[in-house]
Amino acid sequence: MQETGRLSSRLPTAASIAVVLLVLFPLYWVIRRAVAVEGATELLLRAENLRVFGNTVLLVGVVTVASIVISVPLAYVTTFTDIPFRRLLTVLVALPLVIPSYIGAFGFVTAFGPRGELQSVLEPYGVESLPEIYGLTGAALVITLYTYPYVFITTRAALRSVNPSVVEAARTLNSKRGSVFRRVVLPQVKPAVGAGSLLVALYALSDFGTPAIMRFDVYTRVIYVNYNTWSPDSAALLSLQLVALAAVVLVAETALRGRTESRGSGVSGGGESVVELGSWKTPAVGACLVPPLLALAVPVGVLFLWLIRGEASYASGGGFSAGIVSNSVYVAGLAAFAAAVAAIPIAYTSARGGRIGRLAEKAVYFGYALPGVVLGLALVFFGSPTPLYQTVPLLVFGYLVRFLPESVGVTRASFVQFDERLAEASRTLGGSARKTFLRVMLPLVTPGIIAGAALVFLTTMKELPVTLFLRPAGFETLVTQVWSAYEEGFFGQAAVPALILVGISGLSMLVILSMEKYEVG
Amino acid sequence: MDDKINRRRLLKYAGVAGAAGATGCIGPLSNGGNETGDVPSIGGFIGSGPGSDRPAPEGTSVDDMPDLEGTLTVYSGRGQPLVGDLFAFLESTYDGFEIEPVYGGSADLANQINVEGSNSPADVFYTVNVGALGSLAEAGRTVPLPDGVLELVRDEFRDPDGEWVGTSGRARTIPYNTEEFDESDVPDDIFAFPDDDRFDGAMGWAPTYGSFQDFVTAMRILNGEEETRAWLEGMVESGVSEYPNEQVIASAVGDGEIVAGFANHYYIQRILSGNPGASLGTAFTDGDAGSLFNVAGATVMDTASDEELAANFVRHLLSAEAQEYFAVRTGEYPLIPGVNPLGNLPTIDQLNPPDLDLTRLSDIEPTLELMRDVGIL
Repeated sequence: MQETGRLSSRLPTAASIAVVLLVLFPLYWVIRRAVAVEGATELLLRAENLRVFGNTVLLVGVVTVASIVISVPLAYVTTFTDIPFRRLLTVLVALPLVIPSYIGAFGFVTAFGPRGELQSVLEPYGVESLPEIYGLTGAALVITLYTYPYVFITTRAALRSVNPSVVEAARTLNSKRGSVFRRVVLPQVKPAVGAGSLLVALYALSDFGTPAIMRFDVYTRVIYVNYNTWSPDSAALLSLQLVALAAVVLVAETALRGRTESRGSGVSGGGESVVELGSWKTPAVGACLVPPLLALAVPVGVLFLWLIRGEASYASGGGFSAGIVSNSVYVAGLAAFAAAVAAIPIAYTSARGGRIGRLAEKAVYFGYALPGVVLGLALVFFGSPTPLYQTVPLLVFGYLVRFLPESVGVTRASFVQFDERLAEASRTLGGSARKTFLRVMLPLVTPGIIAGAALVFLTTMKELPVTLFLRPAGFETLVTQVWSAYEEGFFGQAAVPALILVGISGLSMLVILSMEKYEVG
Repeated sequence: MDDKINRRRLLKYAGVAGAAGATGCIGPLSNGGNETGDVPSIGGFIGSGPGSDRPAPEGTSVDDMPDLEGTLTVYSGRGQPLVGDLFAFLESTYDGFEIEPVYGGSADLANQINVEGSNSPADVFYTVNVGALGSLAEAGRTVPLPDGVLELVRDEFRDPDGEWVGTSGRARTIPYNTEEFDESDVPDDIFAFPDDDRFDGAMGWAPTYGSFQDFVTAMRILNGEEETRAWLEGMVESGVSEYPNEQVIASAVGDGEIVAGFANHYYIQRILSGNPGASLGTAFTDGDAGSLFNVAGATVMDTASDEELAANFVRHLLSAEAQEYFAVRTGEYPLIPGVNPLGNLPTIDQLNPPDLDLTRLSDIEPTLELMRDVGIL
């Protein structure tokens, strides 16, 4: 029997535990294979591996810091100031997330690489070579450009829930803008910045494609080498080390996030500009434009170039059909729905601050930190003896394991904002726990759930490795089409599905941002 | 008998290829002549573009091969844009034959088959990566092909134990500018290039490209690491230019931006198919890594539900029709005698590739380390 006001926690807790166990069990295979490796210690302590380990930490660090440096000011400018074209700029700044980072990386190499497109344009003007794109610079640049929106989106959502009158009051007491931001605004958005940074850091940690294309020696590359020489056991062992690193990142984020979290205040915030930019308007607009233009113009430009130039014979969009689009939308839609449902108990229990809730929220990040190929193989292992193998349900489950933390993060934020006194009022008036949840809480947190689902939809649309391993035979999607056309050198054929992919994902970005205005303050 | 092609079948095949052209699914080399698409004719497919004036392919026609019946799961490391039409052609040839393709990266698929173990749905594994075939054979996951399939190709292009067979090939070549050189001016020894003044600062290579790395691996295996390092360093000193891929190299040679380069044979043909008058020729070195000939191949898995059907599918990849498809649509080297490669390329029997176990080419890591050490990666 639960007494007064508070909603029951037993059922959501049990559901959270069930979800966590479900999404963590693929790790079992990784551990099992890793244990089977002989000479594991030597493998881990090889000087080469240590160097690569250092590179990995460096890459993750640079990408995370750069994402925060880009996102927090832009989130602030697009919420708290009178910047013109605010809505348009907001969408633009968030938009790079729709581009798969491997397409971005190909775009950058094609444009800036040796004898690339940009250099051939500049050659008549005497430009013999461009600065080196390969290495840490290129890898960090590309991963940052395509993941910083995680921080932007979460930070913005949190900024909108900061009560403007508090900021106003602080400003009257202390006219220095920077100081208001640092002392009043920042503490309130720190958890959100942390949540977004976590997604960025773990993405940088586990990204296979970009470092390979940019020829930067990170950890995933060693896994890749082992994997390509058919030593999946060593690959598993090394992946386990990645998981350990992910754990360190999670602990660090928890420590930095701090204990205080702004709970629901009942006051609707955001929307009202409180800071006048004055002569800073133009530079602010410019600052908002640089990252997205760089991130979007380069790959989209290269795609169009491929499409237009398309060596007559292979620019015909061959092998492309409407079925591919609907396949992509179908599985991404199912994944978004599954992730939304699975996120609710975890977001609910963790927003209420219990130990199990907090652990559950962190635990779901491990699937996200695992390189896609490793997760894919783990599910091949568990799936292949069952009739579920190479069917849509198992594919969707794979997406759930990979992307659940995205929906948990966004959904959780709306649960945190929920004012507990509303639930108490409902209970006082005789509503059952179930009724209170369904009629009072759920409507208020729905925008968060939808935004989380849309985020999962968008990332699933561009997911490659799990799709390749688990899709049914003969089932092709936009990404598999882009991938195979590119792989075979038919760039013209890669362009059409890639542009459609970006278009559809762009629409889901609009959903994510439009949900903001319903955000409970 | 065997080398008599059945006209009806060829007409049907030509129709399939032509129709595919008309719906916009055009291979790299076909200009997709048949606009109407509904009238199958040899002319619609073969009579235009780079396939013009090709003699009817010899070899065993699909017609003279055992019928295919049932459903076959093919794990294909070769993408749908390359082989999708060929699969569709085979399906349309037989009522009651269906291919369930699982397309993926070659290494991915080999790992996947490994992890699936005895539960693997794969009947056939088809890939450009011979190392992947070798690793599965070594793990005991493949079954030997019948001699009748193996003997369709030369010894060098199949597994000595008969576990896999090559189905088409790619040759390393020296694209050269025909205004600068005659073919006989181009050295037939790969080791002659670094010290030859005529090529100073005027050659191109693509170190990031997989086939180029295979070539370096071959040199490493054939000539040892030190000689390979010396060759790489010699080329760097001679001022070789780096290009992002070999398509661009072939194009740059044709434009006279550089006088020669290192590339797979089909990139030259791609340029020539768009511009038959380009000043671009193909030269081969003689029996060294520079004339490495690598193949795509297929194997029957130990999990195949019908080994005979699977083996007969592989046999069909070596039919006159499929070999003609590889020659014209993917620009590859056919592996059976009687089907010519594109253009004026020498036939497979006239090539002199180095003697090398192709599965060893998967030992790529020392190559990458060497290239990084020399500073070109």
